[in-house]
Amino acid sequence: MGSITKIHDMLVSKQCSCAEITKSYLDEIEKSNGELNAYVSVTGDEAMKTAAAVDKKIASGEEIGLLEGVPMTLKDNLSTKGIETTCCSKILEGYKPIYNATVWDILSKKNAVLLGKTNMDEFAMGSSCETSCFGGAMNPFNTNYVSGGSSGGVASAVGADIAAYGLGSDTGGSIRQPASFCGIVGLKPTYGTVSRYGLVAYASSLDQIGPITKSVEDASIVFDAISEYDPMDSTSKGSCGGKTYEQLNNDIKGMKIGIAREYLDGVRDDVKQAVLEAAEVYRSMGAEIVYFDLPALKFALPVYYIIACAEASSNLGRYDGIRYGYKTKHYNGTHDMVCRTRSEGFGEEVKRRILLGTYVLSAGYYDAYYKKAQNLRGTIVKAFSDAFENCDAILAPTVPMTAFEKGHAVSDPVETYLTDICTVPVNIAGLPGVSIPCGFNKNGMPIGMQLIGKSFGEARILNAAYKYQQAVPENFKDTKWGVKL
Amino acid sequence: MKYELVAGFETHIELATKTKIFCGCSTEFGGAPNSHCCPICIGLPGTLPKLNREVVRYGIKAGLATHGEIAEVSKMDRKNYCYPDLSKAYQISQLYAPLSIGGYVELSNGRKIRLHHIHIEEDAGKLIHQHGDTYVDYNRGGVPLIEIVSEPDIRSVDEAREYVEKLQQVMRYIGISDCRMQEGSMRCDVNISVRPQGSEALGTRTEIKNMNSINNIAKAMEYEYERQVDLIESGGRVVQETLRYDDSTNTTSSMRSKEDAHDYRYFRDPDLVTINVSHEEVEEIKKSLPELPAEKCKRYVEELEIPDKDAQLLTKYRKISEYFDAACEGVKSPKTVSNFIIGQIFRRTETESDKEEFDVKVTPQQLNELVKLIDSGKIRNNLAKSTLEKMLDTGKGTLEFISESDMGGIDENTMLELCKQAIECNPKAVDDYKGGKEKALKALLGNVMKNSRGKADATAAEAKLRELIG
Amino acid sequence: MVTREDVENIALLSKLFVPEEELDSLTQSMQEIIDFADTINNAPASGDSFDNINNLSNVFREDEAVQSYSSEEILKNAPEQAESHFLVRNRE
Repeated sequence: MGSITKIHDMLVSKQCSCAEITKSYLDEIEKSNGELNAYVSVTGDEAMKTAAAVDKKIASGEEIGLLEGVPMTLKDNLSTKGIETTCCSKILEGYKPIYNATVWDILSKKNAVLLGKTNMDEFAMGSSCETSCFGGAMNPFNTNYVSGGSSGGVASAVGADIAAYGLGSDTGGSIRQPASFCGIVGLKPTYGTVSRYGLVAYASSLDQIGPITKSVEDASIVFDAISEYDPMDSTSKGSCGGKTYEQLNNDIKGMKIGIAREYLDGVRDDVKQAVLEAAEVYRSMGAEIVYFDLPALKFALPVYYIIACAEASSNLGRYDGIRYGYKTKHYNGTHDMVCRTRSEGFGEEVKRRILLGTYVLSAGYYDAYYKKAQNLRGTIVKAFSDAFENCDAILAPTVPMTAFEKGHAVSDPVETYLTDICTVPVNIAGLPGVSIPCGFNKNGMPIGMQLIGKSFGEARILNAAYKYQQAVPENFKDTKWGVKL
Repeated sequence: MKYELVAGFETHIELATKTKIFCGCSTEFGGAPNSHCCPICIGLPGTLPKLNREVVRYGIKAGLATHGEIAEVSKMDRKNYCYPDLSKAYQISQLYAPLSIGGYVELSNGRKIRLHHIHIEEDAGKLIHQHGDTYVDYNRGGVPLIEIVSEPDIRSVDEAREYVEKLQQVMRYIGISDCRMQEGSMRCDVNISVRPQGSEALGTRTEIKNMNSINNIAKAMEYEYERQVDLIESGGRVVQETLRYDDSTNTTSSMRSKEDAHDYRYFRDPDLVTINVSHEEVEEIKKSLPELPAEKCKRYVEELEIPDKDAQLLTKYRKISEYFDAACEGVKSPKTVSNFIIGQIFRRTETESDKEEFDVKVTPQQLNELVKLIDSGKIRNNLAKSTLEKMLDTGKGTLEFISESDMGGIDENTMLELCKQAIECNPKAVDDYKGGKEKALKALLGNVMKNSRGKADATAAEAKLRELIG
Repeated sequence: MVTREDVENIALLSKLFVPEEELDSLTQSMQEIIDFADTINNAPASGDSFDNINNLSNVFREDEAVQSYSSEEILKNAPEQAESHFLVRNRE
């Protein structure tokens, strides 16, 4: 398994050169991307150039950082200067940013080797990666199944080991859900820890960038690297809990792990069972399991959809064919051009959410929907903070089910939205949540669970996740794909 | 029936900060198209705004200068509308919690035009329409603005004119904007309605957008007033709509097209955080404000005994009033200083922009010296006047033109001699005076003044003449 | 109740064309989503308010100029441009 720590060791011990490792990743992408459809663009030349620079550094005897020379990928909604950034939407066809997202600035300065940009639901709106204008990315455990969404491409690439790790974004579960579907680790950090500058906005008050990795250590390493205060983002605070990597493997004896009953409602039996078994694992390690009620969760999903769509309708107004991206060919006047460009450039799900967002903000409906949802957001925030008076972390399923078969992503939008029920509360409350694999269903598809922490409590939940990984390593499973280092 | 005009103003003023409201691009005028731009102000996907601290301070100054209440908590909202000059398809503005609440502008007739609030926001870019094509330049996009929203308290075109002038004046005083309407750094939207004289209820209003000169505001309001009155008198109804004023035809016409449905869907901008303004900060900013024109004017009239009309002229521009204040330092008669400024100096600063600049060759200190010479009786007014002219011509100081011998009055004996001489040489005038013609004394006095080369004290000389004639 | 007119109106505000033949099905689908959203109105009224996630305030930049981008860079991604302007050419 090509984890960050393993590749770092190989580089430092000169077992392999960075160029060799990068080349084998690029070869694997070439071989398997046709079936996985994880990458939407590959930046081989740039990757090899960075690799050469890293090799030179190693040869000269300089010390290298943990992420230096490690091949990775970015979700296609993270701005990369000079490299196409499309959000997998026709409307951003050909758009090459003239600036870097802060996270990519940080990582490229650390000589991260960017292999390419990965697939996603269009503008991060979806749960299967299938709203991508490039078609969905597939699940490495079984390519008849979806990778999940919206960061499906990253999860598919990392799960199939055609990237050592990747950065995704999570607005309502878009990191955790595909990580869960693909049997890997996904961390959605506390709102404000990772700069959003350069992340193409879906819903600004919910969006957060985070790592998708093969192991908890890797998630911790990447999180530590990218959780920096950024003056470009007014909502940025940086990491407030110190470096998490140094806090892994702390004893969890006496740790109180809460289970909110509402999180288990409507969850498929195999998933529920896997999560409850994980609770037992924690109990055996000396943690205390406490059950409690979180009735505010009942409204989390509609609150999420109202707020997310309202913000999206505003954030996506700028795609008008004037400054960048797609522009319609035939039109009659500016208004007509803008409407045609948008109607042709956006996919169905994106249009649906723009319309819903416009509706809930429009005159006469603002109070009943948007304002009410904001109030309830306050209620949910408070409910979580009360819950954390009595526990240190909350354990819950990541998704009420496992990955579904491709094309299954229901035609009924409301039913599709329901699959986000376990992930959205964390975004509403701005909390950190990490999804880790906790078993497999009868078809061998991975099941994921999430640990939810207090604000800026990444260290605590990563530590607990790490303990679980050590206790049940067999749940962190390689697939048939990818680089065999 | 007589109709009363009712108007309220929404005034946009560009702030004179160095950089834009949400990014570090320059706010300077001119420059090649799209050369004062960056990813943030052209709204590239993924960019985020960061609020310029100075914009908040300027907004607070504007609020304080118009007697507003500075909000302890204010927030930025998004105003959504899609138009090519708006790079994000929303304007970041304030609706739910603006920076300054209430306040007023007091007019010379004593009426107070109440303000609803003042908020901060960003300007849009510029569109040029040519042969049906649209060219877009975002240099002005993101330049900071304040919008001053008044209550519908204006009742005449003259009041409207004065309201705008007063706003201009006060904003220039506090140094937050040059308020040049012709350059677009001050623009007004005028809400206007009419109602039968004596009626309390407001009529249906129309809004004339984007007025960029005071004269046009006056003409447009007159036109719109007439139009609405005619409409009502002929049995029609005023439709609430947005109008554009065409100064070439002096008419207003509807701006609304099917394409722009207006529903701005305001909501809190999630990319920006709350603005908290502490009491201490408000006090500190309050202290930093200069004396405002209204206060200054009042002080000139009440303490310096300057006639109201003159006080208005002196306070119209901050530089004039500062000049006056400096020139008055320690003088006995500020009125003399005022007369010199309004009389002689204004003749050399003819245009409004000259007056605003008030770049005068004579420094206030030089004028101060000159007036002090009069105060101490060393020179007479006439000499001072002619000296000031020479000073204004050359920029040289008082002493260049007035020798020691010119200074100081004349002694008692000389005065007596001069008066005697005047009486002897003008027997006819003496007779006339004795015969009751008061005026005749002026002729004798003139003679004394002439022979003393203006140095005699006219009052003393007059007394002496009366005494001698008996 | 979401009406056809509502959908037409929000489509116009959103600058999206909805073909006449899709209007009914879209209205129907909007209605379903709105019914779902409406469930929040079953929530007990709460006095809770929400400002921003981490209750941040007074995050400012100083009024200091930063080098702007060249107009070439600014216009790099423009579908159409002329004379250093973004351009919407009006085609007949």
